[in-house]
Amino acid sequence: MVSANVSGDLSSEMEVDAFRRLFPLRYHERFLLDSIRPDARPLGRARDTSLALGAVASADGSALAKIGCTTMLAAVKMEVMTPPKESPDEGSIAIEFYMPPICSPLVRPGRPAEEAPVVSKQLSDTILSSGMINLKELSLVSGKAAWMAYLDIYCLDADGSLFDAALLAAVAAFSHLQIPVVSLNEDGRVVVVSEENEEGKSEKEPVNKGKRKLTLSSLPFSLTCILHKNYILADPTAEEESIMETLVTVVLDSSGQLVSLYKPGGPVLAYASAVQDCIALTRQRVKELKSILNEAISDMEVD
Amino acid sequence: MEFVSPEGLRLDGRRPMEMRQIRGEIGAVAKADGSAFFEMGNTKVIAAVYGPREVENRSQQISDQALVRCEYTMANFSTGDRVRKPKGDRRSTEISLVIRQTMEACILTHLMPRSQIDIFVQVLQADGGTRSACINAATLALADAGIPMRDLVTSCSAGYLNSTPLLDLNYVEDSAGGPDVTVGILPKLDKVTLLQMDAKLPMDIFENVMQLAIEGCKAIANYIRELLLENTKQLEYRRGP
Repeated sequence: MVSANVSGDLSSEMEVDAFRRLFPLRYHERFLLDSIRPDARPLGRARDTSLALGAVASADGSALAKIGCTTMLAAVKMEVMTPPKESPDEGSIAIEFYMPPICSPLVRPGRPAEEAPVVSKQLSDTILSSGMINLKELSLVSGKAAWMAYLDIYCLDADGSLFDAALLAAVAAFSHLQIPVVSLNEDGRVVVVSEENEEGKSEKEPVNKGKRKLTLSSLPFSLTCILHKNYILADPTAEEESIMETLVTVVLDSSGQLVSLYKPGGPVLAYASAVQDCIALTRQRVKELKSILNEAISDMEVD
Repeated sequence: MEFVSPEGLRLDGRRPMEMRQIRGEIGAVAKADGSAFFEMGNTKVIAAVYGPREVENRSQQISDQALVRCEYTMANFSTGDRVRKPKGDRRSTEISLVIRQTMEACILTHLMPRSQIDIFVQVLQADGGTRSACINAATLALADAGIPMRDLVTSCSAGYLNSTPLLDLNYVEDSAGGPDVTVGILPKLDKVTLLQMDAKLPMDIFENVMQLAIEGCKAIANYIRELLLENTKQLEYRRGP
């Protein structure tokens, strides 16, 4: 605790903290004039990003993604289901995004976060429309059995750019996914072959022995930017998001094509040039994210 | 089914009186006032503490004490089969209540009247002993938040299978149908704050099993104390001269 009687340095420190709380916009604008942000990042740079695959041992595929302090844990679990009549050769993916009360002081039991269903829908739309996963690969026996992949993403720490971190975690979890081996048992039902049933192996031939990993084409990566006057801030923290409310999220795939663009209103009206700048920043970010993902995958393989 | 082999080894290679490997980390969630990650073997939980802060619901405010709330949730992917209803089901509600009452007993609530302390525990991976791991994580998180407490609370479980008392049951041993004794203690004060048991057990064997669980709790308390000491040294070092 700082008392008012201490030397001038400490008391001016307390004033800075108070200024930050009382006039957050002016505090941030002082930094923007020098083209920098309070955490010393240049305007176009994202925070340190790290990725760890296989974080949840009991899931078929999982990943832990951290962008700055924002932490997302994604896990994929596969279950066998009967495909619907309209698409007998396709499996299905169900994506859910949760913000449990641990992630932020603003989320309480009975008062769920506003962003949770929004990010959940955005994620679902982006992943399904990007064509990353070919649903036909999830089919087992045409018309009778197919995979239902449940992707659950938990936000463990919410410090801005929730969609970016969640998308990164989701893509990594699917990259890490190992489809369980299944075989047909006597009733004609598909069961998961567990490694313990040594005796049963001769009778039950695995249905999909060869193919254990999904072929992922065009992985989507994203960057969220904030527009404020004529500044564009990449990868905002929660504090920045709460005071400057105009967000633009751009999703590009690994070949540089635009997958989705999301600007849900906000006080700043953007010219097309501002949107182009956001897309350019995203293009750089996609290169960074691709190399981080490849590094994480190769780390797993070494293990 | 044999849970203890003739050589005296359990299913995962442990001795009957051996606990699983424990690991704790303070400050897992940056946004929380206090947070911790705790692992007991394959059981992994994260706890976050928010408070003391203003009471959300004025009618629940207590004029001479802090209000303690707790919520226990399991991630969908935490168990072998995907959990359909991760919170609001009976088991989660019961465990939330148990953790709340256990922690409330040791927090000095009279020092923070008219305020609220929220303890949130999230199970990321469940392999038996989630209740104990949650209490241990909550203790670390409360200490990280600087909330005044009478003592640490540590918890451990023990069981009795194949006529042998076993310390720290994992999921397979827990679902074997034998007795499962969970104990929570205040180690320095040497007092028992939580004691739960299901299934039948003769009285003298119960004494042994409970004593074993208490020993486990004390071992965890030593580890937690070391962890907190290390954390304090780091904070002091970072603060500078």
